[in-house]
Amino acid sequence: MTRIGFSSVLITALRLMLGAFFIMSGYEKLLDLKFFSLVIAEYQILPSFLIPGIALLVSLCELLCGTMLLINLFSRFSASVILCLMVIFIASMINNVMRGLGHDCGCFEFLSRWYGLKEEIGIVPIARDILFFILLLPIALFGSNRIPWKKDQK
Amino acid sequence: MLLNIMSEKPLRKKLFATVIVLLSSISPSLSQLHAAESVAFAKEESGELDLSATKALFDTHSACFIDARSEYVYYKSHIKGAISLSDSRFDEQFPDFRQKKSIETLLVVYCAEASCGKARSVAKKLIKNGYRNVKVFSGGLIEWAHAGFPMEG
Repeated sequence: MTRIGFSSVLITALRLMLGAFFIMSGYEKLLDLKFFSLVIAEYQILPSFLIPGIALLVSLCELLCGTMLLINLFSRFSASVILCLMVIFIASMINNVMRGLGHDCGCFEFLSRWYGLKEEIGIVPIARDILFFILLLPIALFGSNRIPWKKDQK
Repeated sequence: MLLNIMSEKPLRKKLFATVIVLLSSISPSLSQLHAAESVAFAKEESGELDLSATKALFDTHSACFIDARSEYVYYKSHIKGAISLSDSRFDEQFPDFRQKKSIETLLVVYCAEASCGKARSVAKKLIKNGYRNVKVFSGGLIEWAHAGFPMEG
């Protein structure tokens, strides 16, 4: 059991599931960074010169944090980083929906390829990111920041 | 005299009805042709091109094709040789486009399909910016792809 009664099994399950999910998401974005940059450009929030760098940063963050969640390395820190990304994604989508812009959300392209889920910005991707936020919270609050191969010194 | 006119009227009516029946028996095919011709003419007059007219321009390399959809969709697939000038980011992309293409160039703008308004919107913006020869391919990429014409991306 973890500190405030959250089952370590639950945290581990969330960690593995979300870790794998963000590894796929980050890897996919890195494979076609230009496409991801063009989707970010469509949000019309960032200046053009920043977009390629931000695209690379977001993709690397997702891939690295996903990997760290999966192997339980600084998982608390990794979950917090992805939580911040989620807040930015949700705010960006809400901003674009309110401005009446319609375009691909650039979130999880593999979901649309595998399951035919529509990836246009709107209530569904916003709700999905809020769900991810909720699922990441227990890891960020009650997960561990230990290094798995390092023995605890008592 | 009055009686004479009264008796002539039904005869005229019958003659008129016979002419109508005769004309209508041969006219359906003609009227369809006329309708299609007039629609094509009306489209061309308003700056809209159908698939065959667009393909003719493509084959003769006499026009520059403009993709009005978002850049990331253009990146995935577009008409071969088309340039991206999206409706959503027109202001950012236009200065570069303006340097490459003179205002005399014949431009054919398209988007996804007939119902999407992006092509017409970009065409309006181009005309507003001084381009004189702007046409809209109303069928869009879906019709183009369905016909099996050249694409890239």
